[in-house]
Amino acid sequence: MNTPLLEVRALHKHFAAGPAAWFQPQPVVRALDGVSLQLQRGEVLALVGESGCGKSTLALTITGLEAATHGTILFAGEEMQRSNKARLRALRRQMQMIFQDPYESLNPLMRVAEIVEEPLLVHSIEPAPAARRARVLRALEDAGLKPAQEFAARLPHELSGGQRQRVVIASALVLQPALLLADEPVSMLDVSIRAEILNLLAALRAQHGIAVLFITHDLSSAAALADRVAVMYLGRIVELGPAAQVLHNPLHPYTRALQAAVPVANPRQRHRRVVLQGETPNPAQIPAGCRFHPRCPLAEAQCKANDPQLHMVAAGHSAACLLLEQK
Amino acid sequence: MALAGAGMLLFALGLAVFAPLLAAEDPRRALLATSYAIYAAPSAQHWLGTDDAGRDVLSNLIFGARVSLTVGFFASFISVAIGGSIGMLAGYAGGATDRALMRFTDVVLVIPDLPLAIVLVALTKPSLFNIILVIGLVGWTGTARLVRAQTLAVKQRKFVHRARAVGASDWRIITRHIFPLVLPLLVVNTVLVISLAILEESALSFLGLSDPTTVSWGQMLNYAFSRGATSSGAWWALLAPGAGIVWVVLGCTLLGYGLEQILNPRAKAHHLMRQAAPQTSAAQSASSAPADALLEVRGLSVDFVAPQQPPAHAVQDLSFALRPGEIMGLVGESGCGKTTLILSLLRLLPAAGRITAGQVLYRGRNLLALPEAQLAAVRWKEIAIVFQGAMNALNPLLPVGRQIAEAVERHDPAATNAAVARRVGELLEQVGIPAARGRQFAHQYSGGMRQRAMIAMALACDPKIIIADEPTTALDVIIQAQILELLNTLRQRLGLAVIFVTHDLGVVAEICDTVLVMYGGVAAEYASVDAVFNQPQHPYTRALLAAFPDFSRQQNALVSIPGQPPRLHALPPGCRFAPRCSSAVAQCHAQQPRLLRVGAEHYASCHLLQPTLPAGGAIPQPA
Repeated sequence: MNTPLLEVRALHKHFAAGPAAWFQPQPVVRALDGVSLQLQRGEVLALVGESGCGKSTLALTITGLEAATHGTILFAGEEMQRSNKARLRALRRQMQMIFQDPYESLNPLMRVAEIVEEPLLVHSIEPAPAARRARVLRALEDAGLKPAQEFAARLPHELSGGQRQRVVIASALVLQPALLLADEPVSMLDVSIRAEILNLLAALRAQHGIAVLFITHDLSSAAALADRVAVMYLGRIVELGPAAQVLHNPLHPYTRALQAAVPVANPRQRHRRVVLQGETPNPAQIPAGCRFHPRCPLAEAQCKANDPQLHMVAAGHSAACLLLEQK
Repeated sequence: MALAGAGMLLFALGLAVFAPLLAAEDPRRALLATSYAIYAAPSAQHWLGTDDAGRDVLSNLIFGARVSLTVGFFASFISVAIGGSIGMLAGYAGGATDRALMRFTDVVLVIPDLPLAIVLVALTKPSLFNIILVIGLVGWTGTARLVRAQTLAVKQRKFVHRARAVGASDWRIITRHIFPLVLPLLVVNTVLVISLAILEESALSFLGLSDPTTVSWGQMLNYAFSRGATSSGAWWALLAPGAGIVWVVLGCTLLGYGLEQILNPRAKAHHLMRQAAPQTSAAQSASSAPADALLEVRGLSVDFVAPQQPPAHAVQDLSFALRPGEIMGLVGESGCGKTTLILSLLRLLPAAGRITAGQVLYRGRNLLALPEAQLAAVRWKEIAIVFQGAMNALNPLLPVGRQIAEAVERHDPAATNAAVARRVGELLEQVGIPAARGRQFAHQYSGGMRQRAMIAMALACDPKIIIADEPTTALDVIIQAQILELLNTLRQRLGLAVIFVTHDLGVVAEICDTVLVMYGGVAAEYASVDAVFNQPQHPYTRALLAAFPDFSRQQNALVSIPGQPPRLHALPPGCRFAPRCSSAVAQCHAQQPRLLRVGAEHYASCHLLQPTLPAGGAIPQPA
């Protein structure tokens, strides 16, 4: 069996939630509460869930922008927490992050060429200016900004939203990463441009074999791009499997509720959907037992008592639900 | 303003630099020579008279500029350097470093500047160097606070996060990403600090703490005051140095404010403003309105005007009709004129917006022609708007129920407290919030509940129409589904008509009866929801549907639309979609298509379509 490109084992990230009252334990937000997943080279894994479920925290923890509370992150089989500083930098170079808001993620005073060049300077790659310039132009072209020469000289405010997101992607590509962590890369973009960026990510995977951890709250975008889908709820993965199965034949009651809530772009298929009541609980007070039981339409007595773990329900398809364990 | 300020400062600087050439005598040598003419009035020989020692005041004034400006520049350099470093370090490092540095700053700030400076100068030898040092060391606190605040703001921005994710060092992030964005503020601040330093130097010199071997404006004032200028009526000895100080400080202040306006160009006034009624002829179009139409818009056009620019046609010749209980989806990409359209319905356009043509008929009355007082009765009471991001518009200091009560009271000022409370409870229950939670504050509500509260507020006056601008865009799917259900229920129960502005085609298919697709300020297609999704006629509508990831079916790769939406001040001459349209022909680039009737209740504006019926000013009336 080949080593996965990225492996996360029982990852926890806890934040202190406000000041502790006297003689009381410090309240803790368990943003990641035991997340495990694997990502193969060239694979697109979509991480879906509602805001506050911990999906962005997971990406920040993987890249090291947030320190994990405990748990293991392996990149190409190397344990990141045990690597020395120089090695860690080299590993992180291979994973690049794309943020949500293309209007905010570019320094307004820097030209496109300078923005894309920056990672090379930071990592002291290609010290010769001419070679560096060539690499910047190649990254711009890979991100679909042609003619690259012309775009290189522009300032961010001269670009449209889609073009800005392409610059962000180019500045990630310039380091030739093996993994892109894309945090809601299309949610701020217009529909016509959204498709363009999704297609670009798909092309990068196909042409360069880049793996993508695609974080989104939009199941439609996940369906358009992902090989596999992981569904997160309150800091845990509750369902994980091939995209077609998880999105079109979901097993976990939460995934089913998510799926039912997605509007269908066909007025002839309007359905009286069973809308899940209530909202995601505060992650500082995760319910005992199954964390989904207070909102679950199928909850039984055992769901209040036992905390289900992710377990295999079909080939490559796992879910964390006690009702599925019995079958 | 910046130019005037800079000119004033340059003049003072010129005086200082060329003092030996300009001044009639050097005050440092002239002490003995002219002692016979104490407090001589201004004359041809002494333009500004002489002082207590018989020296030429004009020469003193010119030489005094040297000291004042030297102290001003160097002292402010010291204090800006100290303040800037401390502020940036505190803002960037945060945590304990921030707290320690800012408490230290607070302590220094609490100590009164001038007394401290007096003590320090008195302890050290009163020399120019000491004065510079003392003023510099005392006056940095304001700069530190300012720079810290700006650093904090820049640090939160996404491109700084991105630089960190790339692996950039702290030094690189500070020098490359944070400092350039703090710099404009620092420049403005420096100019103002210079003027403060000059004032402080004058004060110290006036108190006799300056180097007695040099001449400064403060010192001139000191000598004049203490040596009888007031009693002997020698106003020139006081006025001249005072004018010098005012000149330089005013120059600095003007330059500072001028620079601030250049470096921080705030967006032009963009608040909502009431509009005068446009000059439109009532007989513009023959009325064939459906008898049951609640709201009918005919040929509405809106321009945005800016000085020295051609007007931007934000909305052009737009017509639609809305019946009671109907939900119309208003679809289009950002910048296509959706928001402008809905604002113009109630004459709430920003100052630059002009309604140039058209009618907005609400129950047969043209809202665009109504006097303001009558329009105010329609706004909110008959037609309510839930603005985009409105859920963040709740007042954090008032209980949510209280805010809804305000809307109820405005609607019915005579209502008793008990009646208002009952009505607020009703409204909350209607949108699915337990009435008891009306006593809570906005921060105790989740995003979905805040949006519900905003809808409750819009319902407070029993409106007939609700205009909802992207009401679910920032919400998660499950919450979005809940809000859509809520709107659907309200429509059925109260017979509300809704204009639902969105860019999400899924939402449109889910809830709307009719759809108006806008592109570049014009109606591209207008039809029933079924026709738009199943027999789209306009190439833009088709492209939009192909680009939308439809969750319900496994589909091939998404087809993106090449290019980008047009900018409203640079619209293409022909069809607005032609530059991006794959089937455009020559005519499309030359001539704007009219809205054609392409089906029984189906309208589209495209040269490639054949009208099935003459369009002839008929009011679209899809079922």
